[in-house]
Amino acid sequence: MKTRARFHRAVAGGAALVLGLGLAACGGGGSSSGDSDEFHVLVYGDAGNRVEKRLVATFNKTSEVKAVLDTVPGADYQQKLQTVINTPQAPDVFFNWGGGSIQPFVEADLLLPLDDMMKKEPGLKSNFLPSVFETAQVDGKSYGIPMRGTQPVLLFNNKKVLADAGVEAPRTWDELLAAVKTLKGKDVTPIALGGGDKWTTMMWFEYLYDRVAGPELFKKALAGEKDVWDGADSRKALDMLRELIDAGAFGSNYDSVKFTDGSSPALLASGKAAFELMGSWAYSTQREADPDFARNDLGYSNFPAVEGGKGDAANLVGNTNNFYSVRKSTEHADAIAEFLKLMYSDEFVEEQLAIGNLPTTTNTDKFLDAADNPEYLKYQYDLVDKAPAFQLSWDQAYPPKNMTPIYVAVQQFFNGQLDPDGFIKAMQALTTV
Amino acid sequence: MASPSKDGRPGIGWALPAVVFFALFAVVPLVLVAVLSFTTWSGLGSPEFAGFDNWVTLFHDPVMIKSLWLSVLLTALGVVVQTPLSILLGVWAAGPQRNRAVLSAVFFVPLLLSATAVSVLWRALLEPNFGIPSQATWLFGDGNLLGDRTGAIAVLVLVSTWQFTPLHALIYQGAARAIPAVLYQAAEIDGAGRVRQFFHITLPQLRNAIITSVILMVVGGLTTFDTVLILTQGGPGTDTTITAYYMYQKAFKGFEFGAGAAIALLLVVVATAVSLVVVRVSGYDKMAGTKEGM
Repeated sequence: MKTRARFHRAVAGGAALVLGLGLAACGGGGSSSGDSDEFHVLVYGDAGNRVEKRLVATFNKTSEVKAVLDTVPGADYQQKLQTVINTPQAPDVFFNWGGGSIQPFVEADLLLPLDDMMKKEPGLKSNFLPSVFETAQVDGKSYGIPMRGTQPVLLFNNKKVLADAGVEAPRTWDELLAAVKTLKGKDVTPIALGGGDKWTTMMWFEYLYDRVAGPELFKKALAGEKDVWDGADSRKALDMLRELIDAGAFGSNYDSVKFTDGSSPALLASGKAAFELMGSWAYSTQREADPDFARNDLGYSNFPAVEGGKGDAANLVGNTNNFYSVRKSTEHADAIAEFLKLMYSDEFVEEQLAIGNLPTTTNTDKFLDAADNPEYLKYQYDLVDKAPAFQLSWDQAYPPKNMTPIYVAVQQFFNGQLDPDGFIKAMQALTTV
Repeated sequence: MASPSKDGRPGIGWALPAVVFFALFAVVPLVLVAVLSFTTWSGLGSPEFAGFDNWVTLFHDPVMIKSLWLSVLLTALGVVVQTPLSILLGVWAAGPQRNRAVLSAVFFVPLLLSATAVSVLWRALLEPNFGIPSQATWLFGDGNLLGDRTGAIAVLVLVSTWQFTPLHALIYQGAARAIPAVLYQAAEIDGAGRVRQFFHITLPQLRNAIITSVILMVVGGLTTFDTVLILTQGGPGTDTTITAYYMYQKAFKGFEFGAGAAIALLLVVVATAVSLVVVRVSGYDKMAGTKEGM
């Protein structure tokens, strides 16, 4: 697997397509390798691999059947996974985002439902926070075990800027609108937005829809009920967003700004902006780019409540966690069950916390005091623990081919190319199967 | 087999490696892509035959049609902006002075950088709050270059001009150096000024080079990809979603390989047709060699 050349994205599509075709042609769903005493674990290649390596080593110390860890550099992960998943090179266990990211695999009958495994080992379910665990369920069956940290989206702020303007972190939508007005008067961009990344813009929709319509609307939409996009709640959420945009909350050049190149975090850290809605990873992003700011002036709160809205103000959106799923045709289901039990071990929790990830096991809070930023971790853990609903990011909840249409729609609504009718039409055109 | 044939020309066997390579890496993939364009395939399982579905969808897809126009627009803008610039630069660099050699070496630096590096660099330079626009608000306003249709297209043209003008200047430099000096000496005797010399000697003599350069720009322009991927990701909305990027989005972001293959094939057809048109219109195909005895 490692020796196969990584194909560069820019290579003409044809060559890669053919490579894929060739792989598919020789794929027969056979076992992953000739060796009968090992199974392969495929993970997204990044700094987090340190923990995965340690756990595999721990597992291999006592197990007859050995685990082999394969990593694929982040940007290529999903392409690579989709290409190998039904070939003889397919992994037995693999990293994913739950939701729509595994739905095509479930439909292709490639994944093992873990319910039988959990009947034998109830801990595989009971040791995880339910709102997170549910993300990897498809049609009522479980297909994943949480295996990294949770990433709820929070409303970050620059404490100093807020103090200078006499503004507090808003608890309600009206407070947010008022804060925007005050901050504009102080010549500060109220909210930093890296619209060039597009998924950043999407997070505003996710939260507002949740607060106004409750988590039900999106659940129904995802189940194929396209009418919900044209309901009163949907239109109200869009109107409120429009009001915020027109109030100048995001300035006017947000689509030229990115989070991923460090620009929007720099806006917040430098005090040119007061707020940024971002996944919990923003904390470590800021800590790396500007440690003083992260330590002294980086504030955070949950997304404001919307008065009269149907959604609980404690609901969250974001990436609930990453998951390990198991391929149906694996020969080592029992050994894999043992391996997955490590995902709620003390060692796992400690190792994840050490690299800044917040695991979603029920025993996590025991270890938070020993971490180097316990306050932030505890705040997050409490949010996730108490969240009545935790909505997976829209682009991950829908099957992959909808990602671009969603990004286009949210960007066009923000910059005025789409009105509410246009946005609703775009969302109704998404495919749910 | 590889021995010279009777008439002294190299045997056909010498072409074998090239033919095999071409077949393996160009013809076979092209045929497979063509087959794939009549299937639906997500990368999971085997491709399923879908008849003309992908093609019908494609021709009714507003984004697809817009992307073709955008590709043509960007290509045309590239030709219009880069050609005069690179002719002037190339002709200037063809002169004899030593400082020109040094300067032209500096001009060629952008060509040595990968398109990805170039795009990342420009993205940073044009960042509205911390880059150049923030220092020159009188010129850039709020700096919303990449988030605005016109601005984003202008940036894409600027970046590819910055990167590829050196290549075309190089072509013109070589061609300009090959112009016989006697022509200029004769013109000078007749009293023609430098501007007149340029328009009546240099430019006509560069005709072949211009055609070569334009064909390269057209094919390169239609298949531009990296700059869009890094600078705009097809945005804002679909305003810079050129065909090559749309193909990538369909195939590798959305895992609709059948649709992606159809776009790829369409791009091949369009690019081939356009370069054939350029060759035809310019009369390149009928042009006799200017060398003695050829």
